[in-house]
Amino acid sequence: MESLNRRAFMKGAAGAAAALTVLPRSRTYGANNKVIMGVMGLGGRGTYLAEKFAERPDVEIAYLCDPNTRRFARAREAVEEVQDTKPKLVQDFRKILDDRNVDALINATPDHWHGLGTIMACQAGKDVYVEKPLAHNVWEGRKMVEAARKYKRVVQVGMQSRSAPYVKKAKDYIQSGNMGDVYIVRVFNMMQHAKQQDSPSRPVPEGFDYDLWCGPAPKLPYNPSRRWLNQWEYSCGPIPGDAVHQLDLARYLMGDMPYPETVAHAGGVLSLKDGREIPDTQLAMFEYPGAPGLTLLMEAALWTPYMKKTPGNVRDSDRFPNWPFSSTKVEILGTKGFMYFGRHGGGWEAYDAQGELVRSEYGRQGDKEHQDNFVDCIRTRKKPTTDVEIGHLTVLLCHMANISYRVGNQKLELDPKTETFTNCDQANGYLKRTYRKPWVVPDNV
Amino acid sequence: MMSRRILFSVGIAALCCCCSYAGWLDISNVNIRQEPTELAGPKTIIEYDIDEPSISPDAPAYVFVRYSRDAGKTWRLLPTDSLRGNGFDLVEKPGHKQIIWWGTAQTSFNDLDQVKVRLRAIAMARIPAGEFVMKSLPGAGRDESKEMEFDTDLPLFYMAKYETTIVMYVDYLNEVSDDEAGWNRRMSNNDRCGIIRDSDNTYQVQPGRGNYPITYVSWYDATNFLQWCGLRLPTEAEWEKALRGGIYLDGDGSQKKPNPLPERRYPWGNESPDAEGVFRCNFDGEEDGFAYTAPVGSFRAFSSPYGICDLAGNVAEWTLDWYSTSYHVGLDGFRLVRGGSWMAVPAACDAITGATQFPLKESSIMGFRGVKQANQSR
Repeated sequence: MESLNRRAFMKGAAGAAAALTVLPRSRTYGANNKVIMGVMGLGGRGTYLAEKFAERPDVEIAYLCDPNTRRFARAREAVEEVQDTKPKLVQDFRKILDDRNVDALINATPDHWHGLGTIMACQAGKDVYVEKPLAHNVWEGRKMVEAARKYKRVVQVGMQSRSAPYVKKAKDYIQSGNMGDVYIVRVFNMMQHAKQQDSPSRPVPEGFDYDLWCGPAPKLPYNPSRRWLNQWEYSCGPIPGDAVHQLDLARYLMGDMPYPETVAHAGGVLSLKDGREIPDTQLAMFEYPGAPGLTLLMEAALWTPYMKKTPGNVRDSDRFPNWPFSSTKVEILGTKGFMYFGRHGGGWEAYDAQGELVRSEYGRQGDKEHQDNFVDCIRTRKKPTTDVEIGHLTVLLCHMANISYRVGNQKLELDPKTETFTNCDQANGYLKRTYRKPWVVPDNV
Repeated sequence: MMSRRILFSVGIAALCCCCSYAGWLDISNVNIRQEPTELAGPKTIIEYDIDEPSISPDAPAYVFVRYSRDAGKTWRLLPTDSLRGNGFDLVEKPGHKQIIWWGTAQTSFNDLDQVKVRLRAIAMARIPAGEFVMKSLPGAGRDESKEMEFDTDLPLFYMAKYETTIVMYVDYLNEVSDDEAGWNRRMSNNDRCGIIRDSDNTYQVQPGRGNYPITYVSWYDATNFLQWCGLRLPTEAEWEKALRGGIYLDGDGSQKKPNPLPERRYPWGNESPDAEGVFRCNFDGEEDGFAYTAPVGSFRAFSSPYGICDLAGNVAEWTLDWYSTSYHVGLDGFRLVRGGSWMAVPAACDAITGATQFPLKESSIMGFRGVKQANQSR
């Protein structure tokens, strides 16, 4: 395999990723071989993942990467405390991709870098652990799937709840018919956010490669008071960014139903009127085909302080959340029974037609199992628990809800073969973003 | 009339520092006696000398008293509202001091032989009331409950001139901890901390490490230590003002001493920490003379306008403030850490850099210092 030349990334009008032609790596792992990883994005999640993978005896974190050098110290300290070797600190993730010794990239960047970062890593022969939500837009998500398949890469999505054992027990319970026919699944994501400050743009701080941070997204004036999570340019939105976990659990519990036929959306910016465009209230209804037909409802808002995520002392204990005020619950409504299901190891409780509790399971979070699965799949080349296509089909729901909102809360019909809408050309205009050169995701990955 | 009695007490009185910039300030000639009063119970009189010549109204010593009524088994902080005299709380001049422990139930000791008293003193800096320029933004972290309304007009407060040192923390552990509370195994790392836990559940400073900043302390460890002293962590705003200085360094009341650089990036000005080959704080690498932490005050020539050392680099410092993000509402939130560290790039040792941390995090690049709000009754 030829080593990657950084100039090759930048060369040619087809964009950065298109310039690559790299054969996937083929490595046989012995019992004593460590999996070598680099971490791209050193925010809270990236630092957490760096530390957790570094703690493993079968993994070495060789690189820590962030365009903002101020983020190095916290992650570096966390890694150096738990592994013997010191990671290299780089601002440009391409240095990780250039290194033939690196097996996998952990992509914990903001949403706008998930797609291209993952595709370029696949092209460079790296396996990828990419944080949720998988992709910034629908088209990009499909390209990520294509890249993973073309280069035979393991791409695990950071929707770790799937790996928690209590989740599979709930699925088995539902799929065994104990609930009867399930026609309604309600997904909740109720949070409390503050308004953003309206402050002027500022000079980019020393030590921060802001151009690289923006990457495929527009290079807006630097303004740290405007959170990237609240801007379409960089994000799927604060609600999808979190609700995607529960949406994925709902899909899993119901047997990984593929595409909904339609989406209808209500909501908008109702409370946090600080100039944002991304809604603070999202009610989405997805209709699935088949018999029995199923409707998936998402109820989400950013102004509900009484709704709480599963508390820390419940997450890994034999306790259940306070269901009425659980902000991240899933409710399953069948003809014979009802289930409360909690994210974050919240467990689940099933009730019969008389409202009597008939089955319950306490839960534990699935982070460790999810990381185990990724490392195992790197060695065995199996598909991971939350394969890239699962991530794509789940985040597709978020994109559909957002697009319905952006075209005036129209009900949209989806063609699953083309992943386009059949009844609204305007909506199809939101399926793909405009990429800022040279950070262009090519048609042919 | 009850005759004067000398208490069999005294205890530490003060720990002598290996270096004049760290740990407790020297307190000597401690004398404690009890006298009757006509109308109330006995009063206890504590006298001592504090000779540190740098003590002044702008750089006072914070003196606190802890006492035990069971021969040293358990200790309590003596509340300042029980005290009179010139030798407690903020002491603004060196010399002979007196504390009168007056007319409260605490002084009605049945068995004076069982009573012990310990005095300790910390070097502080005065930060006058008034406006300052707050530049940190949500990217660096903040408390969302404040709705982004930063209070840039702070009242008078005092901040420790130095980061809390290992010798101070060991003293604390030996007084309070018989169940490893406040201690963790990583603190025995001699490069990054330096505390030895003995088999009899006592603690020692590893040789030569006393003046280094304590590390591997969680937010809870830090707040427990400071409550033990009668102090608290600084807010982000206090921390940033202490580094940069107010619009007027003598406060808004007089406005005779304008801050020449009220928007400075670093405590000393705007030069980067390694500009022109001069090393102004302890950041990543060994060029500054330190591969890990440095003894506190090692870069005192580059202190803040108020003479506070090591706000830039060495160890990042816990603050009182929360950082709440959407993903963590409903849980114990992150706390904010300010300032760079011995592992940070030079630019990160500035006035605005911050990081979020779980309050239980014990890190080799994080320490703390205390603040004291001005006592309104004085």
